[in-house]
Amino acid sequence: MPTDMVVGFPASATREHDLELARRAATGDRVAQRELFVEQRANVHRALFRILGSNREIEDLLQDAFIEIFKAVGSFRGDSTLGRWCQTIAIRVAYLAISRRRPPSVELALVEETIASDTDVRRHVQIREAARRLYAALDRIEAKQRIAFALAAIDGKSLAEVAELTSSSVFAVKTRVWRARRELMRRAGKDAVLAAYLDDLKEVSHDR
Amino acid sequence: MTDDQRLGSPPIEPLSEAAWTRVERGVWSQLDAERPAGSPPPGPRRWWLVAAPLAAAAAVAVLLIAVRRAPTAFDEPSRVVTGAAPSSVLFGDSHIELDAATALVMRREADHPTVTLERGAAWFTVAPRLSRPAFIVRAGDAMVRVVGTKFRVLRSEERIAVEVDHGLVDVNFRGSEVAIGGGQRWSSDAPGRIIAAAAPPPAVEPVPPAPATGEPPPEVPAAPGPTPAPARPHRPARPAHPAAGSADARPEPAPGSASAAPQVDRDGAEYDRLAALEASSPGAALTGYLALARGTSRWADPALFAAARLAVDRHDARAGTLLGIYLQRFPRGANAADARQLLAHLQSEKRDKP
Repeated sequence: MPTDMVVGFPASATREHDLELARRAATGDRVAQRELFVEQRANVHRALFRILGSNREIEDLLQDAFIEIFKAVGSFRGDSTLGRWCQTIAIRVAYLAISRRRPPSVELALVEETIASDTDVRRHVQIREAARRLYAALDRIEAKQRIAFALAAIDGKSLAEVAELTSSSVFAVKTRVWRARRELMRRAGKDAVLAAYLDDLKEVSHDR
Repeated sequence: MTDDQRLGSPPIEPLSEAAWTRVERGVWSQLDAERPAGSPPPGPRRWWLVAAPLAAAAAVAVLLIAVRRAPTAFDEPSRVVTGAAPSSVLFGDSHIELDAATALVMRREADHPTVTLERGAAWFTVAPRLSRPAFIVRAGDAMVRVVGTKFRVLRSEERIAVEVDHGLVDVNFRGSEVAIGGGQRWSSDAPGRIIAAAAPPPAVEPVPPAPATGEPPPEVPAAPGPTPAPARPHRPARPAHPAAGSADARPEPAPGSASAAPQVDRDGAEYDRLAALEASSPGAALTGYLALARGTSRWADPALFAAARLAVDRHDARAGTLLGIYLQRFPRGANAADARQLLAHLQSEKRDKP
């Protein structure tokens, strides 16, 4: 799956740019802080969206993430790109938010099949419905497993990338993804839509 | 499952620009709020001794950054925040005086110097823009467009108020536009109304210099009565004299105020000086009339009309707006009939133009 995130080890020019921007932002220079905000907002939003599954509660988390980013930006050393560094913080903010949440009390509701004649519309509706069921099931899964699954199985990151972003070992991430999938399959039960979607995501991640 | 049947990952749903603006505003507000707290914690009893200078120092630091960056023409937005003390900043050749606890962002939008007032209040002294793009102030749903004036914008949550010291500004609020002149005030609470900047006290008869005892002046009836003999000679070519009696006559300073009588005289003398200046320097006279009109003395009415009449004579683009402001401010003023005639004349001229 192609990803438009600026991640990985930085090229020399990118590293210099990132370090200079971080240095200026750390001094409280609002122009630099805004530049960083505009540059990184898509990265941060993507990471949070993948974990949460929608934009419903995302504004507060985006705000928290950027506040944490600006508080910590003085510690950025250029070991990774600024984009990946910001995502790491966003993921930590998401983890704290999910950990504090109480699991929903309502069981996953099955909805009627939507009838649509146009293929694209039908496909779009199918994806939305499948994603809704997936994230409803993810709401009941332990936060670390959820994040590992969201980043690896849904967003298509490699286990090594997820390990770096979550400050974990590759083995730990692999275990979390496996456990999350097993729990999701168990919860899918007779929900054929969710079960099929989990298979679908598994095949897509194997293709990468 | 074939490739065609695969659903793949759900798409990332983009966040609206309005949502991003909310997020950004929240981030800056929280950072500002936490800034003093991020400083070394002072002793429990004397925290205010340290907090106030720290807040002031933080504000000055931000201001210095903003001022230093002024020559770069604000290609990048610059945000200025004041703490416990008011301060000022230059934006190009315009001067902004920020109240305490005020935050604004300065940037250029399509060459328009644009200030977004996030909270608080500020006075803007904008040098005449002439052929340059207008200076714009945004505050909530209100947009103030300026060609050269001094005015104040206040913002409290989504409530906006604009007060014009002198000159003219156009305020666009949720699709409706109003022009506000010197000495006038507009508020989003009543967007269709323009009121005098001072609180509207009861109308009073213009009086000669008050005696030292400061007896209150007598009230006048709502409708103008028989015109009393003018204290100064009435010149047909000039606006009706303040002493001609007007229900819209502006109040003088409070009776008993030591400055009440001298102020009347000063304004009257200034009006005569400007009238004499019209022939040799009509532009300066117009500016002077506008300055006089921003006051609340009885000379505001003839001065504003004189400014409008001069603008008509000089084919000044502001003529129609000035007449409109005059009629809004003095709908039953001594020069209202003349103002309506001039306005009708201007409008017919406009219609006749090919």
